[in-house]
Amino acid sequence: MLWLLGEDGQRHCLRQAFPITFFAAGPPEHLRRLWRRLQSQPVPLQLARAERRDLFLPDPLPVLAVQVERPIDQPGLFEQVSREFPDLTYYDADILLPLRHAAAHGTFPLARLRVALDDQERVQVIQPLDSPWELDPPPAPLRILSIEPDCDPRHAPPQALRIHCERQNYRLPLELVQSAETGYPVPRPGAWARPLLANLSAILRRHDPDLLLTGWGDTWLMPLLLDLAAEHNLALPLNRDADFNVMRKREFSYFSYGQVIYRGQQVLLCGRWHIDLYNAMLFHDYGLDGVLESARVTGAPVQSAARLSPGSGISAMQIVTALRSQVLVPWHKQQAEDLKSALDLIHADQGGMVYQPIPGLYQDVAEIDFISMYPGIMTRFNISPETVGREKPHAEPVPALNLWVDRQETGLVPRTLEPLLEKRIALKKHLLEMPAWDPRRRVYKARAAAHKWLLVTCFGYLGYKNARFGRIEAHESVTAYGRESLLRAKEAAEDLGYEVLHMYVDGLWVRQVGRNTVADLQPLLDEISQRTSLPISLEGIYKWLAFLPSRLDERVPVANRYFGAFQDGSLKLRGIEARRRDTPPFIVDIQMGLLELLSRAPDAEHLADCLPKTLGLLRGCLQALRLGRIPPEALLVTQKLSRELDQYRTPSPAARAAAQLAWNGKHLRPGQLVRFLYMRGWPGVHAWDLPEPPDLRAIDVACYRKLLLRAAGTVLQPLGVSEITLRDWLLANASYGAPPGKIIAARR
Amino acid sequence: MGRTLPSATQTFLLEQEAFTRFRRALRRSDQLALDDLFTCARQHIAAAAYASHALPFEVFLLAMLLEEHKQVMHLRRLLEEAGHS
Repeated sequence: MLWLLGEDGQRHCLRQAFPITFFAAGPPEHLRRLWRRLQSQPVPLQLARAERRDLFLPDPLPVLAVQVERPIDQPGLFEQVSREFPDLTYYDADILLPLRHAAAHGTFPLARLRVALDDQERVQVIQPLDSPWELDPPPAPLRILSIEPDCDPRHAPPQALRIHCERQNYRLPLELVQSAETGYPVPRPGAWARPLLANLSAILRRHDPDLLLTGWGDTWLMPLLLDLAAEHNLALPLNRDADFNVMRKREFSYFSYGQVIYRGQQVLLCGRWHIDLYNAMLFHDYGLDGVLESARVTGAPVQSAARLSPGSGISAMQIVTALRSQVLVPWHKQQAEDLKSALDLIHADQGGMVYQPIPGLYQDVAEIDFISMYPGIMTRFNISPETVGREKPHAEPVPALNLWVDRQETGLVPRTLEPLLEKRIALKKHLLEMPAWDPRRRVYKARAAAHKWLLVTCFGYLGYKNARFGRIEAHESVTAYGRESLLRAKEAAEDLGYEVLHMYVDGLWVRQVGRNTVADLQPLLDEISQRTSLPISLEGIYKWLAFLPSRLDERVPVANRYFGAFQDGSLKLRGIEARRRDTPPFIVDIQMGLLELLSRAPDAEHLADCLPKTLGLLRGCLQALRLGRIPPEALLVTQKLSRELDQYRTPSPAARAAAQLAWNGKHLRPGQLVRFLYMRGWPGVHAWDLPEPPDLRAIDVACYRKLLLRAAGTVLQPLGVSEITLRDWLLANASYGAPPGKIIAARR
Repeated sequence: MGRTLPSATQTFLLEQEAFTRFRRALRRSDQLALDDLFTCARQHIAAAAYASHALPFEVFLLAMLLEEHKQVMHLRRLLEEAGHS
């Protein structure tokens, strides 16, 4: 079944015959038994012998192809087969139907299509008229209906639903009470819900939206509406297709890259899409334009693309490439790492190159970055699970590793990535040339951000042994080429007389007296791209730049803690308080305010002239804090729970806040965020989502003052003003005479 | 994704830890000088990682020597400048 938006503005639901195939491989007698078993069961299907390629095997593999006539029969049949014949290896068995359709017909979400129907209204021909790689696809004329409660339901029971569609606004009253069990409000018993459901149904029928954009729709609103509709025995046309039930998926927490990640439950619709603003992966990073773009380029359905991690997106793209080139997609992958010697392992098991900059304040520093370095390496050097391996003719050695890459035939991963990378580079180029007022900038930025996430994760997936097309040797080769390229860039810079201040995986920071314009730097850029054959760009030239030492030991440099102002006055900061999610907005604003003041200095030598103004700003903020003029929202600390409450040995402030919530019946899971204020006295915190408001007089001003001074100290430290000096100046009323005499390391 | 081997920074900290008994028996002034040597070596962890030497402490020793030699060169230059003026 296909849902299409016609040029006539009508929404069409069409049917198409679409047989799907899965494969089984194994000893011939087992396959013969499977053949006989399949012939004796009722599901209509066709069987054939075939030869297909498994990327992890050198030779083509004889397989049994099972073509199921109706896609709906396949999951049940496959479950039965895999249970009865567990010894066989299965391929193409659990692939999402839209991905199969994408591979067979070149379709993708939001594609423009030409469709020919037969006399029974069944699709005979379906032909895409554009490609996902177009830079400026015409925007899809989607009807979007947004539904949001009038406040955060985790904080207080909302009074009404606010609905907006096609320039019309509606307000539907709610009668809810706080629940002791789930932490979300539940309906007050009674007949009040009947008019709500009737009105909502009428609105849905009148507008017939293509996309429902909700706030907390997955985690709270949609389940609530569905339960109410069931209770009152009313039909609520959330689905466009009334034959299907609304799909609900459960919540879960998982562990990824040293972090616990919480994913709320999901509510998926048929015939139209539902996206929950607060349960969509990375929605805050790239918005609806980014979600639609990632659906276009990956081929994954929009509702999944919104909720999937970018890793699953890249996996979807690889599956489509594999299906198109008749490469088998493993069901449960079993592939062990190749044997290697201890010395090989010592050489191979490294990540990107991370230098330690020398802490201090510098001026006229240029930052040069490789554009999408790792994906660039994969496509440029043809790195893919099937191309990396032992020495053979035509293969090229990987730098410093005992591995070879076959350059004869383009691998699956480079084939998948190439168009995406080209599109990203083209978008970035357009963005650079676009004037600041161009309305397309926002959309282009959202798309470029979506691509960035896909490209970043594709490298991780290459090394993840459970990823369908992952292989650790390919991953090691990418980092080896990365280190080689960065060192070549360093050598090029030093040969041209630059001093290399810092290097970080795919970027380097260099300076040379008298070279501080884009034109001055061009010869270096040309030299680097010639020596590495990878695309490179000038991120910018800093008027001044400060590399900070470690918080714990002033003499120890840290790789990723710096801030600086580019020549156009824009700021770049990494690893300082304003970049951390748990810093209260009040502190972030102050640190950004200080940096704004400093960014006006023409060069490093004139930074100290900004000191009187920065101190004025800090005095004002400290006074406002002391007088209680800062709204409590601005003082909120947001932290992630790292484990279940009973597993904390010494509860952190976040754990204590979560415990307060737990007493009030709101239970948070690991990976969920908890918001709280620092308070005086035990337990030292007040969870923001408690029913009673905090006592504003008991806010721990001393604690916030400490955070403020620390954040200010970070920014002023390169000017020679330590946190202690700052405290003396601001709190002990020591008079501030003049800027400190010596600026550390303001070397030209 | 797990790493099979400890990172260069972890190796460095392990090597430093291996000398805690040695450090404890030193005079306080010598302890501080020893700490300085380790801090110097720490600046070259990236290069030590790239070298991926089977005996990492040799590389750290060389890094200490390197920083010491930089100091010698610096002091020599200062002396020469003082001699000229």
